Amino acid sequence: MMSFAFLWEQVVNGIVAGSMYALMAIGLTLIWGTMRVLNFAHGEFFMLGAFLALTALLGVGLPLIPAVLVAICGVFVIAVILHSATIRPLMSRPGWDFSTIAATLGLSIVLQDAALMIWGERFQALPYFVEGIVHVLGVRLPAQRVLIVATVIAVVCVLTILIRFTRFGMALRAVASDAEAASACGVNTARVHATTFGIAAALAALAGIILAPIIAINPWMGVPPILKAFVVVVLGGLGSLPGAVLGGFLLGIIEAVGVTVFSSEWREVVALGVLILVVWLRPQGLFGKPLREA
Amino acid sequence: MLQLENVSVFYSSFQVMWDVSLAVPDGVTACVLGPNGAGKSTVLKAIAGLVPVRGRITYRGQEISAWSPAQRVGAGIGLVLERRRLFADMTVLENLLIGGYRLAGGRRRARLSEVTTLLPGLQQLIDRRAGDLSGGQQQLVAIGRGLMSEPSLLMLDEPFLGLSPKAVDEVERIITDLGRRGLTILFNEQNVRKSLAMSQETFLLEGGRLIAHGASSDIAAGDIVQKVYFGTPRSQETPA
Amino acid sequence: MPASLAWIAATPKLWAFLLLLAAVPAIVHDAYVLQVMCLAMLWTVFASSWNLAVGYAGLKTFGHQAFFGIGAYVSALISIHAGLSPWLTMWIGAVSASIVGALVGLPLLRIKSLPHLAIVTLAFAEIVRIICSNLVGLTRGELGLSGIAPFSAIPLPWGGQVGFGPADRQASYVMIWMMMTTTLIFLAWFVRSRTGLIVQSIRDSQVAAESLGVSLTRYKLLVLAISAFIAGAAGGVYAHFVLVLTPTSAMGIALMVQMTAITLVGGIGTLQGPLIGALVLTLSAEGLRLAGDHRMLAFGLLIILVVLFAPRGLARLDVLIADVQRQRAARSGS
Repeated sequence: MMSFAFLWEQVVNGIVAGSMYALMAIGLTLIWGTMRVLNFAHGEFFMLGAFLALTALLGVGLPLIPAVLVAICGVFVIAVILHSATIRPLMSRPGWDFSTIAATLGLSIVLQDAALMIWGERFQALPYFVEGIVHVLGVRLPAQRVLIVATVIAVVCVLTILIRFTRFGMALRAVASDAEAASACGVNTARVHATTFGIAAALAALAGIILAPIIAINPWMGVPPILKAFVVVVLGGLGSLPGAVLGGFLLGIIEAVGVTVFSSEWREVVALGVLILVVWLRPQGLFGKPLREA
Repeated sequence: MLQLENVSVFYSSFQVMWDVSLAVPDGVTACVLGPNGAGKSTVLKAIAGLVPVRGRITYRGQEISAWSPAQRVGAGIGLVLERRRLFADMTVLENLLIGGYRLAGGRRRARLSEVTTLLPGLQQLIDRRAGDLSGGQQQLVAIGRGLMSEPSLLMLDEPFLGLSPKAVDEVERIITDLGRRGLTILFNEQNVRKSLAMSQETFLLEGGRLIAHGASSDIAAGDIVQKVYFGTPRSQETPA
Repeated sequence: MPASLAWIAATPKLWAFLLLLAAVPAIVHDAYVLQVMCLAMLWTVFASSWNLAVGYAGLKTFGHQAFFGIGAYVSALISIHAGLSPWLTMWIGAVSASIVGALVGLPLLRIKSLPHLAIVTLAFAEIVRIICSNLVGLTRGELGLSGIAPFSAIPLPWGGQVGFGPADRQASYVMIWMMMTTTLIFLAWFVRSRTGLIVQSIRDSQVAAESLGVSLTRYKLLVLAISAFIAGAAGGVYAHFVLVLTPTSAMGIALMVQMTAITLVGGIGTLQGPLIGALVLTLSAEGLRLAGDHRMLAFGLLIILVVLFAPRGLARLDVLIADVQRQRAARSGS
């Protein structure tokens, strides 16, 4: 029988992991909400963020904060360019709901291999941003992990302000609600799409950067996170920002607790099992709108 | 003056409109009539830039055929979509503000008070969630949203659809009032009698082609509408 | 030609090309080239099974690699542990895959939203892969299941026998060619059969088909089961051909990407698409091997380019050219 302290420690670790899932899922759900596109290449922006930060920090020798900013902006620009080149032309054609999935799948492969060519297959590491141990909620955590949660909370707050109170945020909500009506009101939907895509990619990059000191940086590091992100997005409801955040934390906790029951090699199966359960019982997730017929 | 020259519309490789040419002078209220599937909505969307076209569209001397919808809004063309299409989860205030998206911040606020003055019914709805309103209330908001961009040409796609008789009268009053203030108005409607009464010019479509056009009073007096709506062979006459 | 054989006349070039392919082992004796061609033909079968589900029945799944892998592992494991001949176990593998397909099909078919379907089918395949990978005692996981028996030799009526081991690539080629041709013949017949036409009507308009009283679920389930069977059979043959399996190589996402690329490049919803795509991609991948192992990059780029510029694939190049000509005429005309 496991002790409450042990279980609680697992839950707190689950919250840390969950905050990461939330950050990845927010980007995915933003893209889905505005464009109805499922971005299979999202994990690769996570990976590119980590690699660009690695190059900026260790290759060019920039201090931490500028390196992080350069990496995030770099991914933003790359994402906007890729969106205009591949996704945007497809959206105006019939069958775009399938062709965009295929295209982002292809994009994911291309980016993985490009990263392989540029940075090599050796697993690399980023130094910790903050050192030391912190006591939080009765659990001892490395400061880096606390930084992760703090960053995610800060990002969510900034995003919420952006979406609720700025002109761009209003345009984003309008496009997500009814893109044609938004066009008729004078909103440049193409620009909203591109910018949203870029923001989503930047969020994934940020996730990759703050996670980089903990996991190994390699061209394929984006694949496990995106599967988790898919689960979270379905759990929270496609297109719902609060759903992505809550779903992320929820999945993190479920996984952490589940892994104490099964063993860690079954962690992915727990997550995927949750996914199937949700799609079976409540396909629209926590906050999504009830699904219409295809 | 709005002018369409040989405008055709394709949905991927499927043609839905053939060589429509028409002109709407400034300050005129014109209606587009035709049976279901005639292309009434398509014409308005083509002018607004929401569907790709072949042919020329000019407005006030500028060729806008290749312009994006947002650019056309900037040129003074506004469209109130069929079935209102408000942003359901946003408030009436936010819906109106989006209508004024292209205006600078200060100008947008000023325009908001102008529009609420023009349409007094808006003020009491201002904080309500758009999706919770009745059909008539939504139509009021939709028209207000369309007016926010300071259009010189306002198009309305089936403004009376799904409204109660009282709401229909209210919307009719608003449209007539706007026309009297000098706004160019182009609308399409199923209610033939009302449309002919409200407008000065009429365009009659059938099967994606322009069959007839002219002064509404002439069209009302003639029998061409009867022929088109009740399935007699297509007529090529244009009333004198 | 009687109506029941109209399917032959529909794609004469395909059958002619297949006959040409049959003659290859008589001309080419290089074991490596034959091996590559064998794999290309196996991918054709696998891609055809996915093409059946997606292109003809509109079941847009991204988890088909699980059926391939199940067929491979079931056939391999049973032949190892029960000592049965691969000629028998490959069918057991195919049937297993088909049963799994029918079982997951029932809940899957209730999902009407494309993104949910894509995510769930991907998740399903990943679960299968992880389970396979974790059951190290049974499958040896990522260490690799080796020692798989090749297809047992067939005695010839005039004495001697035909072997299918690594040294007998010509015999394997003929066997795999027969499998591919049988599959294509079956599919050609199926899409023109009453069931096949109903299935295509479902793809084109679910609502219309439903209003005509067609039981959607039953037909979709049938197609999924057939499709899984074919994929499982291909997996079974693959197992006794390459003689080593790992979960990643037999049911991983890379397999799905490869199959998607093959089908899209060749032409989704066409009979000859998977074959064209498999040949083009496999041969160009071999060509690229000279320039370094960036097969996946090529696949990814090809998917993007095809989806953007030739969405109907190479099989329908005629449609593409006609479209381009029409657009050019329209631009200069009006």
